[in-house]
Amino acid sequence: MSAKKKHIPQPFAGKKRARRFALSFLRVVRYGLESFFRNSWLSVAATAVMTITLLIIFTAFVAQNILTDTIGDLRSKVKMSIYLQTDTTDQVGADLSAELQKLSSVRTVTYISANMARTQDAINHQNDSSFLEALTAATNMYPATLSIEVNDINSTSQLQDFVDNNEMVKKYLNPSHKPSFAGDRRNTIQTIGRAVNFAQDVGIAAGSLFVFISSLIIFNTIRMAIFNRKEEIQMMKLIGADKSFIRGPFLIESIIYGFIAAIVATGLGFVAVYRSADTLTSYQISVQPTLDMLSHYSGLVLLSMIAIGAVIGIISSLLATHKYLKI
Amino acid sequence: MILIDRVTKSYGKDTNPAINQVSLFIEPREFVILVGTSGAGKSTLLKLLTREEKPTSGKIVVGGIDYDTLKDSHIPMLRRKIGVVFQDFKLLPQRTVYENVAFALEIAGMTRREIRSTVPKVIELVGLAGKEKQFPNQLSGGERQRVAIARAVVRQPKILIADEPTGNLDPKHSWDIIRLLEKINKYGTTVLLTTHNAEIVNKLKRRVITLEHGKITSDQAEGSYRQ
Repeated sequence: MSAKKKHIPQPFAGKKRARRFALSFLRVVRYGLESFFRNSWLSVAATAVMTITLLIIFTAFVAQNILTDTIGDLRSKVKMSIYLQTDTTDQVGADLSAELQKLSSVRTVTYISANMARTQDAINHQNDSSFLEALTAATNMYPATLSIEVNDINSTSQLQDFVDNNEMVKKYLNPSHKPSFAGDRRNTIQTIGRAVNFAQDVGIAAGSLFVFISSLIIFNTIRMAIFNRKEEIQMMKLIGADKSFIRGPFLIESIIYGFIAAIVATGLGFVAVYRSADTLTSYQISVQPTLDMLSHYSGLVLLSMIAIGAVIGIISSLLATHKYLKI
Repeated sequence: MILIDRVTKSYGKDTNPAINQVSLFIEPREFVILVGTSGAGKSTLLKLLTREEKPTSGKIVVGGIDYDTLKDSHIPMLRRKIGVVFQDFKLLPQRTVYENVAFALEIAGMTRREIRSTVPKVIELVGLAGKEKQFPNQLSGGERQRVAIARAVVRQPKILIADEPTGNLDPKHSWDIIRLLEKINKYGTTVLLTTHNAEIVNKLKRRVITLEHGKITSDQAEGSYRQ
């Protein structure tokens, strides 16, 4: 017997196995497609629920992006100022800017001389003749300013060290104007910083919660759909179907739900974002970077949505069928 | 063909066993009727044979397969060798008569050509020629049971287990199903039938095994229904 077995050409055995596998796979796909169309009401209901939940995921993602951009905008608008003496030269301003730029917490530095500050103020009050008259008559008392954009508005200790220890800045520091990150104004900046951080944390938490709840809703929908057909599963088991053959069509169905739902949800999501862009912008909400990102990576967004829908569907199907596939 | 040796099945420590030290042997090509009141242990015995349940103790060998050494991954292969017919038919509701019967062959990996040549013959054998494209809900109870029998025998199993196949049918359709089972038995398949129908048991004059409270109380070569 064993001698006979040795003469079986292995490539043919392998080919036969591969052919059977391919045949089973095609049948599983066919069963999945047939079930999707023949259980039409169930398919429509499951796809609709999946569409809504994927739309929630899309919305959470877009909202998180918009929030991050808006917060970024807000952060860049909060600038720290170091006030220098009025007669500080442009050369000193440039040297101090270069020194500050070396600090890791500093993103950008702009030097505004006393003359530039006065000119700017004049422009700001160009319709106020008495103000302009007084400005022309008076000696320039404006301080020169180092306007600094930092990476994190909650972290100003490096700047404080710089002001306390740098000899050149100590020499030119304006005695009547404290830096904006010190004293009373420091509290205001820190309050803004805390609010911004809180908004970002809440955004991340809310987004994660939405995604989690959405996944649960999809899981429950698929579980209900499979529960409705548990007798079918038990029957298939009793007439000798392999677990993979029983599970396969349910997985295919779930992938189809995910595929259709992802296309619909992405379409609806894009329309909603583009239509609400003007309104959001009017509230100083930074929508444009998200719009640019969505239009630039529209294909990737769609593929990601399909992948999310399919993966959640597959995991839900695997978990739901597992219960009915024991022995 | 079927060997059951001192098999006991308990569902809990404090309950009476559903099957208690049952031993029996069924020869190839036999037609055996299993009778007993509800709760006598008939369904449990059939579940043990289809490996839906594992015995608490004892040995079961079906068609040369010793269940003690049977791995879980091989259970589908075992079930493909045993045809099973249920009282409630257990058909796939969204599939036609043809598809329900073909399903049994598709899961076994048979090619489409083999399926196309086998299924129509079996559908004709059970008397459903012309109804291949109908769905189960378009058929009568008797016809649905015929589909279930066609699905059970299409793989030409050596053993056919029929668990109260006439339980949901009127007398005329019940006898149609019994005649069909006899025909299948004549072709060489061992048939194990459970029923509550005394008339069928008495008229068939086949081997009758009576179960009561999980034990075999009689085993007659040409038995009758005992109240």
